[in-house]
Amino acid sequence: MTDLLESKPASRFSIVDRTYTKQSRRTAFLLVIVALLLVIGLGAMLSASSVVSIRASSGQFQLFTKQVAWVVLGLVALVVASVVPYRTWHRLALPIYVATVFLLLLTLIVGATRGGATRWIVIGPFTIQAAEFAKFAALSLLAAAITKKDALLDNFWHVFVPVTVILGTVSALLLAQPDFGNIVLITLPAFAMLAASTVPMRFVFGLGSMGSLLLVIFAMSADYRKARLLSFLNPFDAPQGAGLQAVQSMVALGTGGLFGVGLGQSRARWSWLPNAHTDFIFAIIGEETGFAGALMVIVLFAFLAIVGVSIAYHARDRYGRLLAIGIVAWLTIQALVNIGGVVAVLPITGVPLPFISNGGNAMLVNLFAVGVLININRSTPASPQSGS
Amino acid sequence: MVRRRIWNRGDLRLLIVGLVFALAWAGIGYRLFNLQGSRAVALATVGFDQRISEQPIPAVRGTVYDRDGVELAMTIDGWNVVVDPMMLDDPAATALVLAPFADVGLAELTTEFVEAQSKGRRYAEVAMRVDSAHRDAIRAAIRSYNDANDPDIVGVFYREQPLRVYPTGDIAAQVIGLTAYDDGSGIEGLERTFNSELQGRPGKLIVEHDPSGRVIPQGQVLLEPATPGSDIVTTIDREIQFTVEQGLRKAIQKTNAIGGSIVVMDPETGAILAMASWPSLDLNDRSQVSPEVLRNRAVADVYEPGSTLKALTVAAAIDQGIVTKDTPIDTPKSVTVGDYEYEDIGRNPAWMSVADVVKRSSNVGTIEIERRLGKELHYDYLTAFGLGAPAGLDLAGERHGQLNPVSRWNETSGSSIAIGYAVGTTPLQMAAVYSAIANDGVYTEPYLVSEVIHPDGTRITAKPRTRRVISVETAVIMREILGRVVSAEDGTGRRARMTDFTAGGKTGSTNKFDVDLQRYTDETMASFIGMAPLNDPKIVIAVVLDTPTGSLEDGADLANGGASAAPVFAEVAQIVLHQLGIAPDKL
Repeated sequence: MTDLLESKPASRFSIVDRTYTKQSRRTAFLLVIVALLLVIGLGAMLSASSVVSIRASSGQFQLFTKQVAWVVLGLVALVVASVVPYRTWHRLALPIYVATVFLLLLTLIVGATRGGATRWIVIGPFTIQAAEFAKFAALSLLAAAITKKDALLDNFWHVFVPVTVILGTVSALLLAQPDFGNIVLITLPAFAMLAASTVPMRFVFGLGSMGSLLLVIFAMSADYRKARLLSFLNPFDAPQGAGLQAVQSMVALGTGGLFGVGLGQSRARWSWLPNAHTDFIFAIIGEETGFAGALMVIVLFAFLAIVGVSIAYHARDRYGRLLAIGIVAWLTIQALVNIGGVVAVLPITGVPLPFISNGGNAMLVNLFAVGVLININRSTPASPQSGS
Repeated sequence: MVRRRIWNRGDLRLLIVGLVFALAWAGIGYRLFNLQGSRAVALATVGFDQRISEQPIPAVRGTVYDRDGVELAMTIDGWNVVVDPMMLDDPAATALVLAPFADVGLAELTTEFVEAQSKGRRYAEVAMRVDSAHRDAIRAAIRSYNDANDPDIVGVFYREQPLRVYPTGDIAAQVIGLTAYDDGSGIEGLERTFNSELQGRPGKLIVEHDPSGRVIPQGQVLLEPATPGSDIVTTIDREIQFTVEQGLRKAIQKTNAIGGSIVVMDPETGAILAMASWPSLDLNDRSQVSPEVLRNRAVADVYEPGSTLKALTVAAAIDQGIVTKDTPIDTPKSVTVGDYEYEDIGRNPAWMSVADVVKRSSNVGTIEIERRLGKELHYDYLTAFGLGAPAGLDLAGERHGQLNPVSRWNETSGSSIAIGYAVGTTPLQMAAVYSAIANDGVYTEPYLVSEVIHPDGTRITAKPRTRRVISVETAVIMREILGRVVSAEDGTGRRARMTDFTAGGKTGSTNKFDVDLQRYTDETMASFIGMAPLNDPKIVIAVVLDTPTGSLEDGADLANGGASAAPVFAEVAQIVLHQLGIAPDKL
């Protein structure tokens, strides 16, 4: 953030000067992408949530106002994370992980159960969804572990044990809730992180196949999940049943056409599309702003991935690189899984769209992760601020 | 640089991960274009079809007026009050508030709500077809409950339900008729025959709705307004109708008849001023409805007119110049035609003038006159006077009586028909026959609806068809003859005499034919059909009583029209003539 605001420091080294410029461009680019996504998200929220808010007779702006508050809180977290050296997270990786595991355990004990799942700890007006924090904690610890095992990565057990323990513990606790979506959103980015690391590819594929197998077994273990996952293949077979959301989501997108029905003109939000303001907000964007608007969101997420990979590429150390690619993979995969479900090429998993969907914890953690990315970027070797 | 050496292996893999992400987004983008570009119209159609619904807008049914513009039947705003039981927090409390206004009692209403809730039903009836005042009372009760209690009662809905009301209640019930309970279309009387004029054309409201059927406020709305129905103006005079119904009711009581009807007709125009039928009902009370009370006996009861038809036979013979009113006719005690012996009731001289044949209602004399007339001519006059065909009222349930074509007449047909047997007529048809005599020989088709007023204000006025059936001279002579029936001391119709007006008419009493037993019974149809004032008749009244029994103080048998129906004529005609403002012609 400060990179943007400060004027270019006078430097005698042109090479440093140029690197520094590229570096701040990455930060600026990242911030612009996130800012645009936030604006689009709040706009879509305003439309999509108004019907739910009106029907809950709590005022048209009730959900929207809450979301704005979370965005503000998230931006504070972003600024803080961009200032706190990321090595702090490296040092504290294990305690943070242990803390989130504790939170996940606590959730199972005292958590609130909604719709058959125990995912939230409710404290007064606030709800804490430990899974959101667990994503960062698990990816951070995994990055730290791979960094630590650098010399031993050719040894299967030195890879297998930390990976299975770190991901297994969290997954087991999420399974108990159950929260299939977040298991996917932790294990897939972890796999991406391993793929982008120096861990031998055979191990990556081995672990990947194992993980995939477990995910498939788990996915098929509950009838409702199985039905939901399989219905995406032919949603029109059961437009009133398992295929309902996929069908209504495609209908909303089709209604939007190329240029949309206009802001605030969505019909799907009138209860036709369940969860319009959360998991299916992308469909509302597609309906109101058409292919043009929806494509813009996709392009922004694609740029987010490119900038993120670029930051990882330029990271000054192994942990920084791994954490950066982990964060990028997490945000990207979460967005892909969400939008993939909305456009009905992936099963519907019920994960929110980063920066856009309604949901406070996710917004806070996502923006915090962007702050960490910025700090990793600021700490690249060429940066005059990180060298000392 | 150093960095390069350390990360060499990882760099490529990092970039591959980045590339995979980029490709994934490209794939999503392609899919998105597929949905929002090529498949957009098909998908949008699915959405449109599921959102769109057509709500019919009922057309306001036209009003039925009497001839002075008083509403006989009209449609007012009404409501069905229903609840969505699933929206009720406290079914028992809600039932307690609504019960005083509900169609059922408290216990039943509570059970209904609780049961509906347990079964997940979204609909329960509270009060159906109530007027706006009733609805407002329910609203007020809920409001005052909600002011004092928490949680509020929600989930009570008021659906528009136009109400057909009959402000005059039981006046002209069978003439006006009824509308169906469900779709409001006319099922009886004028409501039925003029249904297409009255009903109008329903409009429709096309709206977008959500899955539970609630209208999406910002959705497209297409309104095709309803066209209200046309109003109809009847020829019924509410006050005369009232007089006639009172008279009929009194007559029924006095004569112990099981039913009866009275038709009042304006002979000059053919307008039906009143048409009463007993038993009757209050149209506003559906519990009274039955086929028996809805039957408009004035047009639906086919009976043998008996002696009242003798006037037609005699008029035909005079009109043809075959007899005059003074032509002597032999009147033996009986006459045999074919294998059937016709007799006269009471004692008559050996011969009588044609006028006296009518006055004394001699069967034998009339049969002789008919013999001279001949059956072909007889038949021509019968049809000219409208027998055997509907009178043209377009009234639901109207029957055209029964008159066999002359080719199928047997030996006795002409004789029987001459005295009003072997022919079926309705009271209305007989009123029309006498109207032709009253109207100087011009038959005028009776009619009930004088005007249809379209919603745009244009009017269609009825133009009754007329035809001359007898000459003016014949008509004048016939009135003189019929006048003697009433005015002569030995006339069968002397009880039809009024204090203020002269009158002419003819009595009739026929034994009812029992279809099951295939023979005539002792029960009679007693009638009197008359006109007044005699010189320039303003009204023709037909009184028909079904099975009167008992006798008058002087011993006259009420089974005879002269004893039972003639007094009703006198009573009703006198009041009606005064109501019409006709100057008395008797000093």
